[in-house]
Amino acid sequence: MMSVAGSISPLVAGLWLLNIVLDTGGQLAFKAAAGDEAAGDGLARWKHMASRPWLWLGVASYAIEFLVWIAFLSLIPLSEGVLLGSINIVAIMVAGRFLFGEKLTRLRVAGILLVTLGVVIVGVGG
Amino acid sequence: MKRFYLIGFLLLMGFDTLAQISFKYAGTQALPVAASLEWVLRVFGQPWVYGAVIGYIGAFFTWMALLKHAPIGPAFAASHLEVVSVMLLSVWLFDERLNAARVLGAVAIIAGIVCLGMAESREHVAEPDVT
Repeated sequence: MMSVAGSISPLVAGLWLLNIVLDTGGQLAFKAAAGDEAAGDGLARWKHMASRPWLWLGVASYAIEFLVWIAFLSLIPLSEGVLLGSINIVAIMVAGRFLFGEKLTRLRVAGILLVTLGVVIVGVGG
Repeated sequence: MKRFYLIGFLLLMGFDTLAQISFKYAGTQALPVAASLEWVLRVFGQPWVYGAVIGYIGAFFTWMALLKHAPIGPAFAASHLEVVSVMLLSVWLFDERLNAARVLGAVAIIAGIVCLGMAESREHVAEPDVT
């Protein structure tokens, strides 16, 4: 079986990818729920969010991600796992750029490239 | 407002760290991994998973309170500084070795997170609450 690094099996890679999808989807759903201008304040805000699907979509994504992440971490060292998980930062920023029009300044692009570089180094070198 | 962010991010980091440590303990005790009900029952049949639940719920409410005021990307980046605390704790608790790739990778990732934090501060001076 072809393998990029010693500890990253196809199962670990698959769980890693699934985690990116669920984490990004969940975060975007929470942003849609929390950023709703019509929501008001305090208890009314929570009631408003609970009556619309975004909050629950986020909760569902997180619930599945919970199990996926436990499986992922049980197969590789924790220090390697949390570093590989940092790629979620990149995924969420790119998604925020396209869906919410959040700006990617030069400094943000530099940050995204550095995080990606770090994840590649950890992924290749273990 | 600055103190609000600081307390919020520290609280978020604490909850996230608790969750990651608990995830690792829970997963290790539920091995082998399988896409089955048996595995899920093994996960929820030992106490560590509930440490992860507490960390998750705590992080969730802290996160929702922060998101109301902060743009999603930078707030997310700030929350990810937990990689530092989790890495150090994994050496102590799980006898993991920090090899060259992990240290170098961590330095690049943290530098990237710092860049993202700086990008946020600049933007907030120039144009507060764009989103």
